[in-house]
Amino acid sequence: MTASVEAGSLAVELAGLSKRFGWNRVLRGIDLRVERGTTLALVGPNGAGKTTLLKCLATLLRPSGGEGTVCGFSLRSHPDEIRERTGLLTVRGYVYDELTAEENLRFTARMSGLRVPGATLESELERVGLARAAGQRVRTFSTGMRKRLVLAQLRIRRIELALLDEPYAGLDTEGMALVDAYVRECRDEGITVLLASHQAGEATRRAEQTALLRDGRLHFVDHDAAAATHLSARDLGVERP
Amino acid sequence: MPEKSNLSRLVGLAALVTFVAGSWVGLFVVPADAAQGDVQRLMYVHVPAAWLAFLAFFVVFLMSVLYLIQRDLRWDRVAASSAEIGVVFTALTLALGSMWGKPTWGVWWTWDPRLTTTAILLAIYVGYMAIRSFADDPEKRGRWAAIVGIIGFTNVPIVYLSVIWWRTLHQPPSSPRSVSPEILWTLMLNLAAFTLIYVYLMMRRVRLAEVEGKLEERMAYHG
Amino acid sequence: MDVLRRGWAIVWKDLLIEARTKQSFNAMAFFAALVLFIFSFALGPDTVLLQRVSGGLLWVGIAFTGILSLSRTYQSEETSGGIEGLRMYPGDPRAIFLGKFIGNLVVLLAVELVLFPAAAILFQIEMWPHALELAGIALLGTIGFSIVGTFYAALTVNLRAREVMLPLLLFPALVPVLLGAVNATTAVVVGDAMQGTGIWLRLLAAFDVIFFVICVWVFPIALEE
Repeated sequence: MTASVEAGSLAVELAGLSKRFGWNRVLRGIDLRVERGTTLALVGPNGAGKTTLLKCLATLLRPSGGEGTVCGFSLRSHPDEIRERTGLLTVRGYVYDELTAEENLRFTARMSGLRVPGATLESELERVGLARAAGQRVRTFSTGMRKRLVLAQLRIRRIELALLDEPYAGLDTEGMALVDAYVRECRDEGITVLLASHQAGEATRRAEQTALLRDGRLHFVDHDAAAATHLSARDLGVERP
Repeated sequence: MPEKSNLSRLVGLAALVTFVAGSWVGLFVVPADAAQGDVQRLMYVHVPAAWLAFLAFFVVFLMSVLYLIQRDLRWDRVAASSAEIGVVFTALTLALGSMWGKPTWGVWWTWDPRLTTTAILLAIYVGYMAIRSFADDPEKRGRWAAIVGIIGFTNVPIVYLSVIWWRTLHQPPSSPRSVSPEILWTLMLNLAAFTLIYVYLMMRRVRLAEVEGKLEERMAYHG
Repeated sequence: MDVLRRGWAIVWKDLLIEARTKQSFNAMAFFAALVLFIFSFALGPDTVLLQRVSGGLLWVGIAFTGILSLSRTYQSEETSGGIEGLRMYPGDPRAIFLGKFIGNLVVLLAVELVLFPAAAILFQIEMWPHALELAGIALLGTIGFSIVGTFYAALTVNLRAREVMLPLLLFPALVPVLLGAVNATTAVVVGDAMQGTGIWLRLLAAFDVIFFVICVWVFPIALEE
């Protein structure tokens, strides 16, 4: 593994990144610099391309144009190294209903190339409060329980960049607290976090910076103003081009 | 652009001339086959058509490989054009083969190795065109089509071999028939004619594909 | 190697899910037996005829059943968020192909354990004395089927008309496998000369190797978004 990073280097650096599906240009020239260890809120209306951007960073989508590095590795030439260091949290998460929580976690560990003893799996499940449900099939889980499992999946891997796509969707207070705790932990451990949400206030309150994705373009906005308002381009001081 | 259409006109003219010459010779000049009679003249169209069917798919294969390496949509357009033209000639080959089979052997279809392989080639072509129709995104379309084209083409010689083995196990191999030089030359002439036809059609079709591509782009950006 | 380990993790996961739901295997085995039954019904009681075409019928039955199995291959991924879930993990995405291929192979071979005896009964052929050769043919043929099938299943998984596209793409590609398997099976069962099976087994083996290499090689491109 090449040592690619110096202290204080960027977790994400994008120059003109674009992504289109057929002729639908979802991302049009994104420039972004995120320093290691920061928490960035990515806000924007539904369908603005937040998920697309996160998936590009997670190397699930190939960019149509532009350049980018994630955790110091080029998106185009070293996607594998990026995947090793990046974790993506989607709304539903990728869990198998017919497997138990523990089996799901074991699968994640194996697929991530980790040799994880059973005791570690148990303790990880305990940390997210699923110790008692470890042997239950996920089919029986509530949304909150699924989210806990997905967080455990993220935690068990040693990632440097956490990409959270609408992490608060469908959660009750307790579930939200869980996600908050995770975000705080990431900050403590120096893990960079990108938090995407269509509800500006929710995301910006937990972040240090805010970026607005609109019409395929990214604008950095005044963080305090964003934290205090609902989403509106005019309110945030971003004019339509 | 004017130079290009001049070249294609030239090729078209050459194709027309050789085709007329080849047809004339094949129909009226060359003597009919002693054993099979006039029906044998169908060979002069059937064999070149078969040659084209396989040549066209080879071009699809080449273009598919090129596209996957370079991701340049131009290669994909050439591949698609070749497939369109190729499928027509494949169907023609089968129809002619059938037409020839009936008076000669009394059956509409024989499991002759080459004919059988051609029939399977038709199925592969259809699959190729079908998968293209399912992708709106030109990049995705090119990628999927290229994969199908490569796998499909790789399969053709294997299919051919296996069908030959299959037939020889059940029938003694047919003795090679000697071919008179006049028949050979007529065949060559028609082969050249058909190849020129292919080149001409390709030039026109690829041009059309380029225009279609630009139109797609423009419509998308306006929408 | 890492690819093998991760591929194996996928096999384990899929077989575990399969063992728990069980519906697929039962349905497939039943469907396969039904297909054979309908064949023998349609062809009538002529034993000699049935014996001679038994190889063909058996492998057509396997092919139809196999198609069912293939469309299911990525179904379990769909209910859990899609194949992206697997693509997100680090490492060579070819592990996904390996895992799915072996999973399909195992399930299909398991169904054949039911099918072959059923064919022996329905078509009144002697299989037991040739069990080893038949096992070899079944293995090589099913491997060929699973390689190309798993690959094309991945390619067509997101298409609207995948139930049609998969057979359309698959069957021309499977012609050598079917020819090889059918002829080898028939040669064994009807008692032809040994050279008969030799050449077909070589064809099957060559097909398996060639297409395994190609499909593994091209697989990441098929998965791209």
